[in-house]
Amino acid sequence: MTAPIEVREPDTDEVVEEDRPWVVIVWNDPINLMSYVTFVFRKLFGYSEEKATKLMLDVHHKGRATVSSGTRTEAERDVHRLHSHGLWATMEHDK
Amino acid sequence: MALFRRPRLFEPAGSKGFQVRLAPEARDWVVGLADELEALLVADTEDTRRLFPTAYPDDPDRDAGYQILAREQLIDDRRDAIALMRTTVAKSHMTVDELGAWMRIVNDLRLVLGTRLDVSEEDDEIDVDGPDLESQLIYRELGYLLSEIVDAMTTTLP
Repeated sequence: MTAPIEVREPDTDEVVEEDRPWVVIVWNDPINLMSYVTFVFRKLFGYSEEKATKLMLDVHHKGRATVSSGTRTEAERDVHRLHSHGLWATMEHDK
Repeated sequence: MALFRRPRLFEPAGSKGFQVRLAPEARDWVVGLADELEALLVADTEDTRRLFPTAYPDDPDRDAGYQILAREQLIDDRRDAIALMRTTVAKSHMTVDELGAWMRIVNDLRLVLGTRLDVSEEDDEIDVDGPDLESQLIYRELGYLLSEIVDAMTTTLP
């Protein structure tokens, strides 16, 4: 009979934290032109004019819009591309 | 029918990209502003904070890591775009990539100027008696120019 092996149980919160996808959020600002924001959404993400316009209007009227999601690496890449185009983007775990 | 169609500053021209209808003095003026922007990129002033946003607002440690990797790349990308503006300043036609460089830098100029002017959503009218009149007029002119570029660039999207 072998002695019981002590197994460290994974921290449940830790696992959930890492498994949750990241979301990329674009925030409203009074400087960027609405047409420019729509263009950037279409160019970077390949969104249709309708979807890009809806996201832009969400940014404008609601103050923010989630524009993409994925792994941390994917989200960070998208945030960087948005920053490169002058948009105010951040990322956070999906709630 | 286009009896009253106004000429665009950037007219799609097939394989040639875009025909550019900017006056020489307007081109030089924008590139001069881009030169000033290039000097500001490494100055780390409050005016340029919109060019280098936070990625992780709730996690300073992760954001510090992002900034180390991203900031230098964001500066290099802008320097490359400004260099492309200088080499294309007198061209009669611009490619999509060339006009795209102009678009990004004109937008950056508006971000810096708008931050300096503390622009808000309600700022529809120019304060002709204000101390920032010249900057306000430049901001408006850049807005018109950017709008024209975006209209032209949008024609290249699928």
